[in-house]
Amino acid sequence: MRLHTEELMLNMGPQHPSTHGVLRLILTIDGENIAGVKPDIGYLHSSLEKMMEHRTYLQNVALVDRGMDYLTALANEEAYLLAVERLGGIEVPPRAKWIRTIMLEFQRISSHLVWLGTWGIDLGASTVFIYCFRERERILDLLEQVTGGRLHYVYFRPGGVLADLPEGWTDRALEFCDELLDRMVEYHELLTGNPIFRARVLGVGVLPRDAAINMGACGPIARGSGVDFDVRRAHPYEAYGDVEFDVPVFEGGDCFARYQVRMEEMRQSVRIIRQAIERLPEGEVRARVPVNVRLPRGEVYARTESPRGDLGIYLVSEGADKPHRVKIRAPSFSNLYALTEIMRGWKVADLVAILGSVDIVLSDVDR
Amino acid sequence: MAELAARAWDAINGLYLGLRVTFRVLLDRKITVKYPLEKLEVSPRWHGLLALPLDPETGKDKCIICLQCERVCPDRCIHIEATGKGKERVLTRFDIEMDKCCYCGLCVEVCPTDAIVFIPEYEASTRDRARLLYDLEDLHRAAPKEPPARGLVKMGRGR
Repeated sequence: MRLHTEELMLNMGPQHPSTHGVLRLILTIDGENIAGVKPDIGYLHSSLEKMMEHRTYLQNVALVDRGMDYLTALANEEAYLLAVERLGGIEVPPRAKWIRTIMLEFQRISSHLVWLGTWGIDLGASTVFIYCFRERERILDLLEQVTGGRLHYVYFRPGGVLADLPEGWTDRALEFCDELLDRMVEYHELLTGNPIFRARVLGVGVLPRDAAINMGACGPIARGSGVDFDVRRAHPYEAYGDVEFDVPVFEGGDCFARYQVRMEEMRQSVRIIRQAIERLPEGEVRARVPVNVRLPRGEVYARTESPRGDLGIYLVSEGADKPHRVKIRAPSFSNLYALTEIMRGWKVADLVAILGSVDIVLSDVDR
Repeated sequence: MAELAARAWDAINGLYLGLRVTFRVLLDRKITVKYPLEKLEVSPRWHGLLALPLDPETGKDKCIICLQCERVCPDRCIHIEATGKGKERVLTRFDIEMDKCCYCGLCVEVCPTDAIVFIPEYEASTRDRARLLYDLEDLHRAAPKEPPARGLVKMGRGR
């Protein structure tokens, strides 16, 4: 006897806890198997690029903080200011460069900790969530002591940073680095060996190397598929050319490989922070740049390695104190695209694991 | 059979390691605070609510009505009006719409006389939206008794 089967449309989101924001996935399912995925984005569109055209270069620093990826505010500021400084020929003092590097790496760790915790919740391992946020809270405290903010820092400025590191801060930072490495062992004990966790991620959502390159995947997604590329090493900015670090690359291409990449990246970030604090030069932290800085006519593209991947800013100036046009190349957008393409054929329950491993932030996708 | 035993051992060992962490943390010091009853200290550079401290010597406003903060504010939430000419100029209006404010701190940074400062407060919630418009009187009242220690680099002054 032949059973009559048909494909079913299933609406996942926009209000779904595992979509990390407001992402709507229109699924076509054949039983438990996914036959097609169509992401519907734009719920968090804030027309950031247009808004940036109406604000001065300094005011835009406050805007890129919250308009893009809200978990990595400093990485957004860095990408934007790199473009501004390159176009304006603004020289950043060496001490400011090293401070920026330290801050960016702390931001990377805090972003990866949020990812690890929320992904744990997606997979049913809700214990690890609280542990990750415990460590993230320490990083936010450290960043608060330097910048005054906990999520939106507005700390980098054209030509440097707002303020020097407070007294005794580097000792506290190094102390935290040691503690984090201890805690990382705990995360591994909680997750890496856990048979339930392994069953949910090992071999799930394989993104082959060619597909990763062709679909523009970047950051930890691409490195989990064996693409050995990191903007920090390929096109060094700030002090990244002067510090030693390894770029973790794993060949698996599955969710577990992406997990391994991020776990190893946190370890490398600690390594960078330690080197940077040790070699922190003395001197000015801010070049003299007027409040309403005017950039010469021209265009520039600056790319950085944000915790989510290759974050680029394309900026066109017409000689005014406001940008003429800004285009943001968001890493979450291309990573989301790459992984929704390979979701076909997996079970609905795997979809949550795959989606979580992208580490999407919807305000970064929509902007 | 040997393979099954190895897998079973891995599973038991993995669960044991995870549960060991859980039980260790159970006996650890608590990291949470009971918020409305206990409060955390904020750092000296905290981007909190804004205030206008009076000059302790003259008892008048430190603001020289240069309007830099009004211009630099990305959300345009500061509104300043003044009367008089030259040295006689006095503030008649200094309104901050705290519901628009994004706590970026650019106003504090550009102020040449430290007339506008952050205070280590963060509880601004109210049931009435109109009370989020802080006028001159509110901002004076919120001012700290002693100026907070801050290590910010001021615009155009170098270090």
